[in-house]
Amino acid sequence: MTVQSSDRFSIDPDVAASSQFDAVVIGSGVSGALIAKRLGLQGLKVLVVEAGSGNDITVSDYDENVFRFYGAASKDNNAAYYNPKNAPMPRDFENVRLRDGEINDRGYLVQKGPFEIDSTYSRVLGGTTRHWEGKALRMLPDDFRMNSLFGHGRDWPIGYDELEPYYCQAEAELGVSGDVEDQQYGGLTFGEDGYVLPMHKMPASYLDQVLARDVDGMTVELAEERFELKVRTTPQARNGIPNKNYAAGAGFVPNGAVSVHQAEMGERCQGNTNCVPICPVQAKYDARRTLVQAMATGNVVLLARTVASKVLVDGVTGHITGIEAKTYDHPDLTGSTTRVFKARTYVLAANAVENARLMLASGLPGLNGLMGRNLMDHGYLLTWALMPKPIGVMRGPVCTSGIEDIRTGKYRRNMAAVRFSIHNDGWGWATGGPYSDLYDAVDRDNLYGGALRQGLIDTVARQVLIDCMIEIPADPGNRITVDPRYVDQLGNMRPVVCFDLPQYTLETVAFSRRLTKQIYQRVGAKDHSSYDPMAPGWVTHNGEGYVVRGGNHWAGTHLMGSSAVDSVVNDRQQSWEHPNLYLAGAGSMPTIGTANTTLTLAAICLRTAEDIIARLTASAIAPAVGA
Amino acid sequence: MSLYKIKDLDSLRRHVYAAMQLEHATIPIYLTALYSIVPGTNSEGYHIIRAVAVEEMLHLTLVCNLMNAIGGKTDLTTPGFTPNYPAHLPDGEKDFMAGLHPFSPEAIETFLKIERPASLNHGESNKRHRPRKGSMLSAGHTGDADEEHFFSIGEFYKAIETGLDDLYAEIGDALFSGDPSLQVGPEYYYSGGGGLIPVTDMASAKAALDLIAEQGEGITGEIFDEDGEIAHYYRFQQLLLGRFYREGDQPDHPTGGPVEVDWASVYPIKSNAKVTDFPAGSDVRAAAEAFNVGYAQYLGLLTRAFNGEPNLLVDAVGEMFRLKDFAYQLIRQPIGDGSTFNAAPTFEINLA
Repeated sequence: MTVQSSDRFSIDPDVAASSQFDAVVIGSGVSGALIAKRLGLQGLKVLVVEAGSGNDITVSDYDENVFRFYGAASKDNNAAYYNPKNAPMPRDFENVRLRDGEINDRGYLVQKGPFEIDSTYSRVLGGTTRHWEGKALRMLPDDFRMNSLFGHGRDWPIGYDELEPYYCQAEAELGVSGDVEDQQYGGLTFGEDGYVLPMHKMPASYLDQVLARDVDGMTVELAEERFELKVRTTPQARNGIPNKNYAAGAGFVPNGAVSVHQAEMGERCQGNTNCVPICPVQAKYDARRTLVQAMATGNVVLLARTVASKVLVDGVTGHITGIEAKTYDHPDLTGSTTRVFKARTYVLAANAVENARLMLASGLPGLNGLMGRNLMDHGYLLTWALMPKPIGVMRGPVCTSGIEDIRTGKYRRNMAAVRFSIHNDGWGWATGGPYSDLYDAVDRDNLYGGALRQGLIDTVARQVLIDCMIEIPADPGNRITVDPRYVDQLGNMRPVVCFDLPQYTLETVAFSRRLTKQIYQRVGAKDHSSYDPMAPGWVTHNGEGYVVRGGNHWAGTHLMGSSAVDSVVNDRQQSWEHPNLYLAGAGSMPTIGTANTTLTLAAICLRTAEDIIARLTASAIAPAVGA
Repeated sequence: MSLYKIKDLDSLRRHVYAAMQLEHATIPIYLTALYSIVPGTNSEGYHIIRAVAVEEMLHLTLVCNLMNAIGGKTDLTTPGFTPNYPAHLPDGEKDFMAGLHPFSPEAIETFLKIERPASLNHGESNKRHRPRKGSMLSAGHTGDADEEHFFSIGEFYKAIETGLDDLYAEIGDALFSGDPSLQVGPEYYYSGGGGLIPVTDMASAKAALDLIAEQGEGITGEIFDEDGEIAHYYRFQQLLLGRFYREGDQPDHPTGGPVEVDWASVYPIKSNAKVTDFPAGSDVRAAAEAFNVGYAQYLGLLTRAFNGEPNLLVDAVGEMFRLKDFAYQLIRQPIGDGSTFNAAPTFEINLA
């Protein structure tokens, strides 16, 4: 581990505690990094506080994580990262099938159920974008008006058109590869005429092409609407071939690996397929890229190994007077120092779960009691099959194409929206393959030598997995709370999760199973999907059982709205009750539709940055003139 | 090859061909050292060597663009294109040969010699100074008074630039008679720390030469350039001295944290191995021969890419992964001749 890695950018905690910043940002993930960068570019002084070690600026440090992943026996989505006792991360293998009234407090998250979500997040420099897959899908115009259109969920206080320019900015910041021509569905519009994404699409994999032969043109009827299916490439925040026509011909230069020195890596995806949990060459976007740009402005400094513990409020005005945080000396040993950090404005950007946890632990549930409520995630139904012939598995990013045509429609009056992704990485997510395939071949089928090699080829090389990403609407009963009985080593209360899937979502789970069965029949694949009643995420619907997995898209816990009565923040993510506080990230999203949350949360955070800059620079310019 | 002052298009093309050879010749040297590092160790050593090797590949591509622009032939399959290692590097000194070695203090010393900031003659323009490596040309051997002697690659590229200027004054835009569709642009080639420049006229030709020159050492031999980027020479030196440089350090006296170098975590490959070093009829020998065939095919693929099929550079990247796998197979394999050495790619490609 190189000592010099954070030297240039980190600040001594005592110095930080005695400074007055323009903004203190809690969390160095994509929300915090984007806001810090925009503020830093305007000359505003920003302190970014990160719970993780903050060490991963050099390529050497990054490589440590790559090799930790290679050596891990369990390749869960946080397998690459050291899990310090002082800033623990949820791990998906901690989940169990909850019995009635049972509480699972084995891991960092306390799960009260009844439905156990196996979603996680990463408390490291760059946040969960370190382990994310990188899909960069926009939400659809209909997703912003779910309640008005379909009578379920909520409406956003802004519409797609208002957010659209920020989507374009987010696509530039994250570096998205994709073709706009492939995204002509669901009412999506893209910028002005001739808008292209910064880089060309990741090419459709051989598997995508094989499926397309039989899937393209397949029709589905839902609520008297007819949909025609098509396999389309998926935009993703991963480096590809720059599009010469981007930005009216200015083109785009991909940002490669984050490094202190010239690294010559990451400017193109190599197809390593373990995007989750870590891209070995740093072709995938992660927020360290933005963070390093933020720090390069000279106005942003990082304080790592520091966990926010309390938001301090002036009881009379509602203004935030500081954020108390604990800086630990050693990742695992007890011993930390508590300090208070002050700024003119505060941004919580620690993700939907941690933002709510912190506010509730600070005794700030909000007058309307909505802090932590309306917790959402995407429910994933996994389906998997064996193709008739080898299809080139384990090459390329995890997903290069999907089926988007049913992302919206009248059917949403009765059941949740869904989109489908085609996986290039075989059955891994569902069964633990290819490792489980090896165990089965040796232990169950008694194969060895040439027969073992051929046996693995016969299975692994033909594996296809289609995931069905299903919307879960806001429900105040789904929530994050805190409980003094459950604290971590630093003495911070841990997040307590209460969650259940509504019938609205379960209907679509059942529908998705039916549709994917048809798809596998059509392409001649043998369906191997099976759902274990003992597994966490087991649900039943109309007599059928399924296992629903979490999408790691935590959202809604501090949702935005047009009034303080029924929301926590306004459309700029500014707290209604505390004017100098912003709660940033997917927690502000009132709906999540069928898009991975990152691109949308990036867009709203860029909008938030504008608002913060306007407020801070206005109040700086007008000192003595009125109040 | 002996080189004379550029008087006509033909001699300009000979110079540029020499530049192609030069940029390519260090690549096997760097790759051999790179792949001899046991994976998972020596992160800093691995990344600095890789970064420099990738940069040489960019330079090679830029030079091929230049060659195509002036209507020359870009043929990497010409006999003698790849040197017969170890190759003498006469840059005025004859004190070292550059060969194929495992990652070791000796290899790094060689890289330092290649990259070393040399002192300048006064009166030299700073612009083209790129004292990073000595010339691999055999200039300077014979006694012909008109023959050019290159003390540094910077001088060499300066001679090319001067030649371009002189010829342009004589024949104008006819100098750039090459087919523009042969140019390779950044969509097919990335990395190397700079956007690839298609060469179609004087301005782009100079920009390409500038890019090669700027990626070399600063003329003052400063440790860090204005972007805070450490120069290659000093980055290599950190490996030998065992410490990182920090801003404000004096040359040869880094004061930063320790650099982790594990000289023992290196496969014990035989330096400058030749196919004939491997036992006749052995798998190792067959694999080494197959590697050379593969590498020759790879140079053929590159040649096609530079001759109207730039999309083949995408395939070439795939080939590089295959060659890397192949190289590792050899490097991990003891020769089996009773010595303690492992095999290695020999890069005996189409020797003259």
